Amino acid sequence: MTPKMDRREFFITTAAVGGALVIGFGWPRRAEAVDVTTPAAPWYREPSVPEINAWIVVAPDDTVTIRIGQTELGQGVWTACAMMIAEELQCDWSKVRGEYASANRDAREQAPAWTLKNPAGPKPAPTDPRGGGGSGDLPATNERVSWTGVYRRMSTHRSGSVKMNLYFYQLAGAEARERLLLAAAERLGVPASELTAKDSIITHAATGRTVRYGQVAARAAELQHPHPETIRIKSAHEFTLMGTERRNLDVPSKVTGQAVYAIDVKVPGTLHACARACPVWGGDVKRYDFNAIKSMPGVHAVVQFPRPDAGLIRNRQFSGGVAVVADSWWHAKTALDGLPVEWEYPPYTHLDTGNMQRALIDAMKEPGHVIYQRGNVEDAMARAARVVDATYDVPYLARARMEPGNATALVTDDRVDIWIGDQSPQETRFSASQIAGVPQENVYVHTTHLGGGFGRNGNGPQAEHAVMVAKALKGRPVKLQWTREEDWSVGTTYRAMGAAHIRAGLDADGYPIAMDLRAAADSNAAAPERGLTPPAYFVPNLRVSNHFGKFHVPCSTRRATGSPSNVFFVESFIEELAHAAGKDPYEYRRELISRSTIVFEEDWLKALDLVAEMSGWGKPLPEGWARGIAIDDRRNNREEADVCTICAAVCTVSVSKAGAVRLERVDVAFDEGFGFVNPLSVRKQIEGQVAWGWNDAMHQAFTVKDGRMEQNNFHDFPVSRMSEYPREVHIRFFRTNHWLEGVGEEAMSQIPPAIVNAVFRITGKRVRSLPLRKHDLRWA
Amino acid sequence: MAFALTVNGVRYVVDVEPETPLLWALRDTLDLTGTKYGCGIGQCGACTVHVNGRPVRSCSLPVKAAVGATITTIEGLSPDGTHPVQLAWKELDVPQCGYCQSGMIMAAVALLQRTPAPTDDDIDTGVTNACRCGTYYRVRQAIHRAAALMSASPSRSAEDKR
Repeated sequence: MTPKMDRREFFITTAAVGGALVIGFGWPRRAEAVDVTTPAAPWYREPSVPEINAWIVVAPDDTVTIRIGQTELGQGVWTACAMMIAEELQCDWSKVRGEYASANRDAREQAPAWTLKNPAGPKPAPTDPRGGGGSGDLPATNERVSWTGVYRRMSTHRSGSVKMNLYFYQLAGAEARERLLLAAAERLGVPASELTAKDSIITHAATGRTVRYGQVAARAAELQHPHPETIRIKSAHEFTLMGTERRNLDVPSKVTGQAVYAIDVKVPGTLHACARACPVWGGDVKRYDFNAIKSMPGVHAVVQFPRPDAGLIRNRQFSGGVAVVADSWWHAKTALDGLPVEWEYPPYTHLDTGNMQRALIDAMKEPGHVIYQRGNVEDAMARAARVVDATYDVPYLARARMEPGNATALVTDDRVDIWIGDQSPQETRFSASQIAGVPQENVYVHTTHLGGGFGRNGNGPQAEHAVMVAKALKGRPVKLQWTREEDWSVGTTYRAMGAAHIRAGLDADGYPIAMDLRAAADSNAAAPERGLTPPAYFVPNLRVSNHFGKFHVPCSTRRATGSPSNVFFVESFIEELAHAAGKDPYEYRRELISRSTIVFEEDWLKALDLVAEMSGWGKPLPEGWARGIAIDDRRNNREEADVCTICAAVCTVSVSKAGAVRLERVDVAFDEGFGFVNPLSVRKQIEGQVAWGWNDAMHQAFTVKDGRMEQNNFHDFPVSRMSEYPREVHIRFFRTNHWLEGVGEEAMSQIPPAIVNAVFRITGKRVRSLPLRKHDLRWA
Repeated sequence: MAFALTVNGVRYVVDVEPETPLLWALRDTLDLTGTKYGCGIGQCGACTVHVNGRPVRSCSLPVKAAVGATITTIEGLSPDGTHPVQLAWKELDVPQCGYCQSGMIMAAVALLQRTPAPTDDDIDTGVTNACRCGTYYRVRQAIHRAAALMSASPSRSAEDKR
């Protein structure tokens, strides 16, 4: 099963990283001299003992190495993916270590045909006798990614790490377990059917004899299963490891500084590059003057690189630029700061936040793209006892992961090596192959941990930049490292700016009989319809439409995609309706949800009731304090889709008379479907989303002037610190009986409207434009 | 120019320009990559190290200003991840992406050296590092836990002062 590996993968991956420890007084060894292996480097290596299958290596001492196709960027996949395999392998969890799968091997080796289709089909019930599996087949293949390679789906996006991968991860563990049992049967001279496996020990119950996995692993690596297609994977109700809280496997290396991120990679002989691209997207370099910097310390070259081919980066538009290459990054950066560069600006320099916002408002005066319609809105509006009308807006937002984009690349005539924390090594393999003109089978992506991702920020054009620069310096490894400023101004994509105009006609009881909901966004927005198809609150005459402004800003899937904008609009407006009706906002929501046509209406009510109870909804609070509530789910179509994650939140907020807002307490009721893989990781994800929601609500905005972003570092795009994190966060999970869409972003969108709704109850000021820090919230 | 730096108890000589930030001397010259680059302007704290026992943002301290100082990085906290703060961090499973955590841990250790039993308000003012994953809830719990571990075994609290 194992293909013949190019020995150079072994050499380069083991030689690439090291800490040169110097004892006593002396000159530190330079990177050229480094040749030791650092175990914290997480990328794929050829094993020193035979693997059982492409995913699993069991050493004689019972250590289990699990290859992981997903990239750890803080969401816990390093652990969750290992748990999906270990559940079936039935190995000793304390002996498990992770390692990234190889995108190169994935290009060279196909997954066995019998593993491609789950016999239980998509979304098997948790008790399906045919076995378990994920929520669906993998998406259609395209020229960049086939998803039939040995590691199937090496992507870390769409919250797919569990729902899309469960089947093939479980199967890898089950197949290895069965072969270990066959090897043990041979050794003990008994039928495999009389053996059981648990915690890496195989027991023959009748005689009490046992063997360890490590004792039979080498034999299992040679044996083939006679009928692998008959191997059944566990249904959800049979899980014993999944569903238990497990500390994350990567954490010990992250408290010692040993975990290797791409920024920490040291390849012998590396040159360092610092890049700058035209600050208006779509622009390019007109001219630069290398002579001005060429005598600066350590400077090696300037490389001009073109606009990355949009076809390689999911049709996002970035700029062309220059990279100064030097013997150290500090030298490269210092020289780049002094390099005179003239830009060829694209025709977008007239755009600024003001005229872009006006374009969105104008777009909402047109009919737009109708995404949901029922009844006759205008007739019903004319009959309404009262009409409520409001306009909202939200800014561009960056993900602001902590590790600025970087990658190390080595391009030769027939091969590319790239060391990178990457959310899609298969796509990067394709990019590198296209740019360098080598076959994908000769591209080696050495995956590292990633310092945050938050929706594919680990897919920026850093890989393409690095390969383009390294191609110009063939034979030398080049480490390209963006500054923070470069990462934010031209290296990242943004959550689209947006606006909404919502109009509702209320009946005499204050409930809506008509609603016209118009949501506008940058036309590059990711999932601008999310949360609007339809809103869960029942309105008999409803029209929902998307409207677009055509701008040049590269937008993409920042955490929760379209939801933070749309949930802010809907959950603010429903609160305005409750206020106009003179009703309690929780009770008002409850009534309109119970009238709803959506699937899982009962689960929505469960979430809402649970969070109200948890938060002490309705109980007295000190003066200047109030609670705000909001709810959302994640799925494509609320009247049909059966894969869904529901979450409700209450934010308890205080506002001082001087207008200072504090988030005092957050209560979250979160859908656990029929079970999580690792509830501890889910908890941590929700805790983090509380900070994200707070930052979206309170602090963050990117604004455009002269066609470029005005903010470029943490001083003008603030990220909250300890002092702003609520002292109390309460999280409770509730059971439902559906597949989950995800767990990494479904608690975030509720926080801003819940805060804004509480601020209104304290100050009487309705904030319709985020962030809150723009507003005077003093009250008397 | 050559500068003598004492880092984690070891004396090194680095050959860099005097204005080179300590961060890059640590990372690129001494290969101590546990200390991270986040913003380069002293805002985020990912580059926090101890200089003479105090937490300093090493991206904003020129090497020439660190000569003669005692510098401790995350690698110098313990050889094996057994400093009480590291133990507490593992117990509470604090890190997510982990990128800011070296700096966060160094800030927490410095706080506990100054204030062995910090209140929540002490933590708010003493730890000003940014964590984009939002691990603050567990950071707070872990600092309290580390304080308890250190008071149970007081000798450990002096570890960083060597």
